[in-house]
Amino acid sequence: MSNPIAMWTVFVKELKDALRDRRTLMVVFFTSIAMGPLMLVLLSSLVGKYEKRAEAREIVTIGLDAAPTLRNYLERRTFIVKTAPADWESQLKDSKLGDPVVIVPATFEDDLAHGQAPRIQLVYSSANGRAQSGVGAIERLLQGFGQEQASLRLIARGVAPGVMNVSSVDEHDIADNASRAAELTSMVPMFVMMAVLYGALNAALDTTAGERERGSLEPLLATPAARAALVVGKWGAVFALGLLIAVLSCMSFLPAQSLLRSEQLAALFRFGWVEAAWFIGLLAPLAAALSALMMAIAIRCKTFKEAQANTVVLTLAVTMTPMVSLFNQEGESAWNLWVPALAQSTLMNRVLKNAPISALDVAPGLFICVALTVVALMFVSRQLTRRAAQ
Amino acid sequence: MIAMDDLRKQFTSGRGRKARTVVAVDGMTLHAQDGAITGLLGPNGAGKTTSLRMLVGLVTPDSGTIHVDGIDMRENAPGVRARLGVLSDARGLYPRLTARENIVYHGRLHGVADEVAQARCEHLARLLEMGALLDRRTDGFSQGERMKTALARALVHDPANIVLDEPTNGLDVVATRALREALRVLRDETGKCIVFSTHIMQEVERLCDRVVLMAHGRHIADGTVASLCEQAGCDDFEDAFVRLAFGTEGQPQ
Repeated sequence: MSNPIAMWTVFVKELKDALRDRRTLMVVFFTSIAMGPLMLVLLSSLVGKYEKRAEAREIVTIGLDAAPTLRNYLERRTFIVKTAPADWESQLKDSKLGDPVVIVPATFEDDLAHGQAPRIQLVYSSANGRAQSGVGAIERLLQGFGQEQASLRLIARGVAPGVMNVSSVDEHDIADNASRAAELTSMVPMFVMMAVLYGALNAALDTTAGERERGSLEPLLATPAARAALVVGKWGAVFALGLLIAVLSCMSFLPAQSLLRSEQLAALFRFGWVEAAWFIGLLAPLAAALSALMMAIAIRCKTFKEAQANTVVLTLAVTMTPMVSLFNQEGESAWNLWVPALAQSTLMNRVLKNAPISALDVAPGLFICVALTVVALMFVSRQLTRRAAQ
Repeated sequence: MIAMDDLRKQFTSGRGRKARTVVAVDGMTLHAQDGAITGLLGPNGAGKTTSLRMLVGLVTPDSGTIHVDGIDMRENAPGVRARLGVLSDARGLYPRLTARENIVYHGRLHGVADEVAQARCEHLARLLEMGALLDRRTDGFSQGERMKTALARALVHDPANIVLDEPTNGLDVVATRALREALRVLRDETGKCIVFSTHIMQEVERLCDRVVLMAHGRHIADGTVASLCEQAGCDDFEDAFVRLAFGTEGQPQ
């Protein structure tokens, strides 16, 4: 029979078969569609909390009554002064208290009046992320007080305070909104790649190792259909499922943005139709290669379970490779674009940063994925007959 | 018509010094005519399944020839497969598809048009008395129901030659009888060439026009049940089989 008809017949059958596996599909659908929005909401509530903390302008103190000068300074800087609770130390350790604690010595005013530097303690726990994030701001605030006092003393002695400023530092943050947001959303590409992998996994295993396990491969090979046609038909169905999950999970970010609680993050994380289209376009070749690779691994296995154990290596590799860019502080290297999964996550991150992407950037990843797909499918085709009789 | 001549096959497992060679088939000859049921009889491990796998092209013989309706396996394997209906040892069905979908799927892969495959499916359902099963998913089918579905799947393209590998394995008396009856209909009404492998004497006695005896991968004897009994000098076919396959002492040769 002609190969295209056999290919189409196998494709339709495998797709129908996979779509009838409701329980597995439900799990995959929910994880891929619901996880995206869920992640965004969690991320935004986290960022929102930090924002709220920064806006709150609160300072937790002990013994401030002994330091009216400092209190005056803090209130002039529109800070709300709070007294630390009695068990502040344990609360700080257990992360129940979200602010560092400032301890003012009882001799503060005396020391100040006598020109001795009073020792103010700033207590925090580096295991308490919330409190630690506020340390820098409080430190700057207290340094400001020191500077103010120093300036007053210099003025009183008839010296211009400018004498103390040998140089001045002006900070310029050149990151634009999109790249600042990408710091927070760099997990998104990794997440969608996992969704594609798990979307295709079940079908890839079922059409190969599953077929061997239930003893339906031998009858299938007794038909005159060409091996290559059978393999391409099966791969087509697996790829289609992976792509479907890719589309669904990318699309799920579109409505999910309205759930963002942090206004800043909502303004920064721009994921529109253009970004979704880029993501899907980048994920498609990866989905093709992963589908073929999973089939190649699974065809050597006699049972579904064995295949699941064997594909763990691949799923781990796909999860870990994007980490390279997370750990790599030196920025992108040229070779990143030649490694499957890493190339796609790098480019997807560029999409999120709104950075330019040229055809030359896309080409290496595309080439490697297509080559992997072809080699893996040829391998499956060769193995099909050998493994059926085992 | 099926002609297998002097087939040989050995398998090697392991590599290097640990390599072990097992001779599975060592000079197997079988000729099966149209309009007849040919039994391939042999004890467990005689090489029946390997022989039939070579016929389908799942295993490539080391030497020997296979012709189906005059087509040489080495020259046109898909052509041979198209003329065979195979109920193999592995009878796996797709559990999420209905019996009808399982059957029509194979019909389509044999190049049969969808409408024709559907019609054949109905026809086979009547022949195998499985009309009520057609639109049920095969998940949870009994052994008998699975066998019927697998047989219908093997016959959906109306092949001139039918190959069955131990088809009665795991079937109860009623299902075995129904299968036997279906095979007789196929032989008598449509003149099919049927090859039937088994290790059960009664089945051969009741059903087969000719028998090919096989042991230790080798062809031992062939003929009708009566002629084999005569050859062995026994009245009982079981005694004849043991004598021919294992020698006078009933011991392997």
